[in-house]
Amino acid sequence: MWKIIVRRLLIMIPQVFLLSILVFLMAKAMPGDALTGMLDPNIDPAAIEAMRERLGLNDPWHIQYWNWISNAVQGDLGQSFNFKMPVTELIGQRMMNTLWLSLATLILTYLIAIPLGILSGRFNDTWGDRLITGYTYIGFAAPLFIVALVMLWMFGFYFSWFPTGGSVSPGAVPGSFSYVLDKIYHLLLPALSIALITTVGTVQYLRNEIIDTKQKDFILTARAKGASESRVYNRHILRNSLLPIAAFFGYELTGLIGGTIFVESIFSYPGMGQLFLGSIVIRDFTVVTAIVLLYGIATIIGSLLSDIILSIVDPRIRIK
Amino acid sequence: MTKRKTAKTMLVSLMLVLSLAVTACGSGNNEAAEPSATTAATDAAATTAPTTAPASEDGLYNIADFSNVKTNQGEALEGGTLNYGLVSDTPFEGTLNFNFYSGNPDSKVLEWFDEGLLTWDKDYVYTNDGAATYEVSEDGRTFTFTIRDNVNWHDGKPVTAEDWLFAHEVIGNPAYDGPRYGSDFTNIEGMEAYHDGTAKTISGIKVLNEKQLEITYIKSTPSLLTGSIWTYPLAKHIFGAMDVAKISASPEVRQKPIGFGPFKVESIVPGESVVYVKNEDYWRGAPKLDKVVLKVVPPTTVVQELKAGNIDLVDSFPIDQFPDNSGLSNVEYLGAVDRAYTYVGFKLGKWDAAKSVVAPDPNAKMGNVALRKAMWQAVDNDAVGKNFYHGLRWNATTLIPPSHPEFHDDSNPGMPYDPEAAKKTLEDAGFKMNGEFRTNPDGTPLTINFISMTGSDIAEPLAQYYVQSWKAIGLNVTLEMVEFNTFYDRVGSNGEDDPSVDVYQGAWTVGIDVDPQGLYGRDAIYNFPRYANEESDRLMAEGVSEEAFDVEKRKEIYKEWQALMVEEIPVFPTLYRAALVPVNNRVLNYAIGDGTGIYLNELAVSADKGIAAK
Repeated sequence: MWKIIVRRLLIMIPQVFLLSILVFLMAKAMPGDALTGMLDPNIDPAAIEAMRERLGLNDPWHIQYWNWISNAVQGDLGQSFNFKMPVTELIGQRMMNTLWLSLATLILTYLIAIPLGILSGRFNDTWGDRLITGYTYIGFAAPLFIVALVMLWMFGFYFSWFPTGGSVSPGAVPGSFSYVLDKIYHLLLPALSIALITTVGTVQYLRNEIIDTKQKDFILTARAKGASESRVYNRHILRNSLLPIAAFFGYELTGLIGGTIFVESIFSYPGMGQLFLGSIVIRDFTVVTAIVLLYGIATIIGSLLSDIILSIVDPRIRIK
Repeated sequence: MTKRKTAKTMLVSLMLVLSLAVTACGSGNNEAAEPSATTAATDAAATTAPTTAPASEDGLYNIADFSNVKTNQGEALEGGTLNYGLVSDTPFEGTLNFNFYSGNPDSKVLEWFDEGLLTWDKDYVYTNDGAATYEVSEDGRTFTFTIRDNVNWHDGKPVTAEDWLFAHEVIGNPAYDGPRYGSDFTNIEGMEAYHDGTAKTISGIKVLNEKQLEITYIKSTPSLLTGSIWTYPLAKHIFGAMDVAKISASPEVRQKPIGFGPFKVESIVPGESVVYVKNEDYWRGAPKLDKVVLKVVPPTTVVQELKAGNIDLVDSFPIDQFPDNSGLSNVEYLGAVDRAYTYVGFKLGKWDAAKSVVAPDPNAKMGNVALRKAMWQAVDNDAVGKNFYHGLRWNATTLIPPSHPEFHDDSNPGMPYDPEAAKKTLEDAGFKMNGEFRTNPDGTPLTINFISMTGSDIAEPLAQYYVQSWKAIGLNVTLEMVEFNTFYDRVGSNGEDDPSVDVYQGAWTVGIDVDPQGLYGRDAIYNFPRYANEESDRLMAEGVSEEAFDVEKRKEIYKEWQALMVEEIPVFPTLYRAALVPVNNRVLNYAIGDGTGIYLNELAVSADKGIAAK
């Protein structure tokens, strides 16, 4: 077990290295750089050229890459041209917001998925089940950004139940209990928007697993022994059906990254996703490369996590 | 033609709005604004007749029907909180000091709590109504400024001449990391020596006493009076001991910024919102409002926020959303002519990087003025403005937009739309039809490459319209739509012009000073057509000479220059633009534009909450 984890971690190193080269080259391949937008006759073109030189934008790519990666290894991801602050600090600020949003989304996802999945699996082919599967198909078909916009309009503007932007009310004082509540209040609607969409996959998995499991022989045995229907479902079926859900957990984390990028922009929620899109537009390369790298690492860790969980909960597939 | 929304955002964020610069922008939509609305509001303001946008005939609007001053409805409350929407796709950067900021959103945050020492009138000329007054010496080179006695920083310390000098010293310091150091500063005596490190002080700036400063400029020009003076002091008692390179990242800039404006910053959520409270000690008098809450609002939801009354004011409004929302009952739209124009440019040469001058090529494909003239005659920009922009953009005539009413030459008709005349122009110049298209006068085939920016929904249809119009007079024009960065790369923002580009469609935001040398001067890299002409050089030089201090004379000069550009056509302007800003009906004493004499300390509200749309 530990050997596997260590081996996977070792494999991660070349993976991340390769990823970093790809990310860097792709960022460089975008037309323009952070200074392209400075079309301003009041600024001397020579001064802009000097700034390019100072930022090392004129060096060949491998030298730029080397400078970047050698600093990155030491934890210095460079300076954001736009925000005029270290990228690590900038991302640190935004990452907390994204982490809270992801956590809330994850909790909501399972809060929705597990009851729906169980109901749908236990009472399959009833009207209730059809309603739930109907919802999952709509969920599969509906693009996240549309759903998010509709949610924002309906619950944010039409009913005014939720705030319509930002991560916290203006003027809230950090540290107080009301500040925490205010933050939760702000992330509830975006988290719900993502959860409503991402949950459908899990609902379907759970449903199929339950339907599958309840036809297995050992369930028949349990019933034959006289176990009550609720005991059969809660103890025998559910535990076995949750296996793939647990295994899916790591990938779920990865999927959240994609979700938060759009939702953060729609709800103007200042997290990493919003920073990412904004930085691409203004060619703030240091920020873009750093975030892609972080996303990449998160993805790799997510899949590792999935494998580990899977091997813990299901001894059958433990790799030697 | 339209720059993409994102590109726009990016551009704007890099644009130094207050630096009076001429800035490139895509011809895109200015996206920004939010509606606000809540319930309640049964007071006087809510019951007065709703102000709607000027009526439109056939869905068309005219900027002349909009006022730039808000109609007051109801009585001002004592105190109150105003909600301000900063319309932007991205968070504001948070470099909250006029001496350092570089993004437009930051400048919107700054305007509430800090200001320049001089104000200007509607013609953008400095007045003596601001926090400081000025006197000019006989030769027009030496300015003596006197800061008013009651002008104090938010911490109670007086704003001094020393602070003003300090701002110049910091910007002139080689370690300075902001974008301000440029020709405005090198025009100060001794500034370059100070910047190079050969002098310890700036010889042209003298502190006469605590409140008086004297600055001597190398060259006297009327531009000095229209924005070339650096009027933002930097609090020396706070920043004086700091390392210049570290000021912009310091907490005194980012978290607890200081100014001497009508409001003080109470708290900041980085990138999202700012709460201001009134500055009782403001030199024009304590503000009427108790609080202002600034919040970043994405252009996609701004209309909803305005409708709900959650937001009273915005910094800008996406004009393409206006026709659908012109009837909102709870807001009044203010309008002004934008300091910008869209244009079609012709490549007439190259950039000589070694000499840093344009190198016009007499044999350029677009070198024949008859060809350029015909292309202008062939396009109906009046129809473009009506069909694509509901009249909120309209036919442009000269290269000085009507946002500068003093210098824009109304009597110059530009080039009237006349496709028959265009054909005749080409015919007379020897561009004969050969099959479907015309050839060069020497009989070689003529294919013109036209590039335009992607972005808004109408970018491509609009560019296609131009291509078709040119086809109708027999010109074979191929269109390529490119993204903002690529576009300016190829047009030559780095001086490496793409030789395959013959014609392009771009846009400029112009500075408050009319001097066009930054865009059409011989040594301007942003002179993308790479056009130069002795007569034009002479006129532009005269426009900033000492004799141009006489406004009548200066008008005369620029009138001549505008006429010359209509004759020579290195570029032709296509559209002028309107800027609209919705304001909630409860807001009193507000105006957009310059020289209105209405200041933020007078801003008030007539109801506790924003009025919601019916």
